[in-house]
Amino acid sequence: MIACPREARVLLALLIAVASASAQEATEGSITEGFSGYAAAPEFSVVPRKDELVFYPCSQCHEFLEPDPTVRELMAPHEIEFDHGAGRIWCLSCHMLENRDQLKSALGEAVDFDAAHQVCGSCHGNRHKDWYFGAHGKRQSSWNEPRVIYNCTHCHDAHSPAIKPRKPMPAPKARAGLSLPEWHRHEKKPVWERDEKPQKPEDSDEEK
Amino acid sequence: MKKNDSGANGASGHDTARRNFFRKLGRAAMAVGVTAPSMAAPAWAGATFLEAFGDFFQQHYKKMSREEIEQVLERIERKARERHGVDINCENTPPKKNAVFGYALNISKCQGYRDCVHACVEENNLGRDSQVEYIRVLEMDQGSTNLEESDHYYDPETVPTDGKYYMPVQCMQCDNPPCVKACPVEATWMEPDGIVVVDYDWCIGCRYCMSACPYSARHFNWTEPEIPAEKINPDTHYLGNRPRPKGVVEKCHFCIQRTRKDKQPACMEACPTGARIFGNLLDPDSEIRYILANKNVFRLKEELGTEPKFWYFTD
Repeated sequence: MIACPREARVLLALLIAVASASAQEATEGSITEGFSGYAAAPEFSVVPRKDELVFYPCSQCHEFLEPDPTVRELMAPHEIEFDHGAGRIWCLSCHMLENRDQLKSALGEAVDFDAAHQVCGSCHGNRHKDWYFGAHGKRQSSWNEPRVIYNCTHCHDAHSPAIKPRKPMPAPKARAGLSLPEWHRHEKKPVWERDEKPQKPEDSDEEK
Repeated sequence: MKKNDSGANGASGHDTARRNFFRKLGRAAMAVGVTAPSMAAPAWAGATFLEAFGDFFQQHYKKMSREEIEQVLERIERKARERHGVDINCENTPPKKNAVFGYALNISKCQGYRDCVHACVEENNLGRDSQVEYIRVLEMDQGSTNLEESDHYYDPETVPTDGKYYMPVQCMQCDNPPCVKACPVEATWMEPDGIVVVDYDWCIGCRYCMSACPYSARHFNWTEPEIPAEKINPDTHYLGNRPRPKGVVEKCHFCIQRTRKDKQPACMEACPTGARIFGNLLDPDSEIRYILANKNVFRLKEELGTEPKFWYFTD
């Protein structure tokens, strides 16, 4: 096979990319190896959240407890409703066994609590990419630079990440002097097929 | 005979009405004569003669010099103090250079909480009585984009409801705005940063723009907006959320008083789901540009050629 100069160039570029990525990791310090972010993503900083954690640093209790890797039920004082991963994961899938002040990515790397997105991203890759580029997640205060974004765990409870249904804010009122019809939903039928008096469906009392 | 009687009665009734009218006019003229020289006592609807005079002869926003705008801003602040007893700060922040604002909304994230609607009402000093809301959250059937079948009065115990999705609609800040073309007095126009604004002092309240807008995004103040004094947002902009009079049209202005100072629009800041993304369309590194390049975006009623700067997307 003849060595194609274009291929060689691509290989060289890849090598440089890998080298620069590892250099970046060393400066960041939050993660030791593996994924280090998307080079094309705009710069950002993450809103810290450690102060909001009730029991952090975890080592204040756990340094006196023997590390136990057997799968078991969670005990007091941790009151956690766990609904994540449909039985595929448990505590030590994301928490470090040896050092409880660190999280653990799917590759087993130690991750700081303020860089929790690295843990989430190790399974939810597509969402993580969207979050990096701004298509998922939420920014703090400004639309312009500097870009400060919330971590995954600000909005999603890591132990039960689905967003829960809740009561909506009050509905708009009818304009002054007017009133909503008792059954305000638009008819599904076209105008020419509607009755003179639309029949009120039975479930409308619940909706009111 | 009957005819004559009724005719005579009618004539006399008319005469008394006219007499009363002139009597009232005379009294009003006297009142003006007395109050005008002092120029301090409130005469017309709480405004002094000088204020009313200034209002009446105020120029179009684009034609005013910097000094004239400063005077107008001061007058707006004085009037707010008289009307509501609140010190507001009315500004005229110019558009940012190299910025055209756009909005993207993720309808697969929106849960229909209506937090944006109420944040907008509070931020933009919308009348609490007048029921004007810039944002309308439409509850739609999944698999349909038929706006005729949407419902924005939904009020169940919890949202989202099964089988529904939620599509907030507000001013699309069209790049080819039909409302601007419809306005007979040029009281509405597009600013260099792409925001379609209204000069509330120039608007004559004809509501042509409202019928021209295909998104029902413009709202008319049938009554003077009533706001509790402690709820008034004191950070205002001339083209944005300053107190409005009765009888003018208003609409979403991308929170001009916030976004021109790099802050997020109130609806975006309030959204708990992160479905709303606002940004600069001219910045290739902005989040909105990433969405436009990488997500399935659509615009509402795109076929009308209004070129909205407001995209919806799903993921």
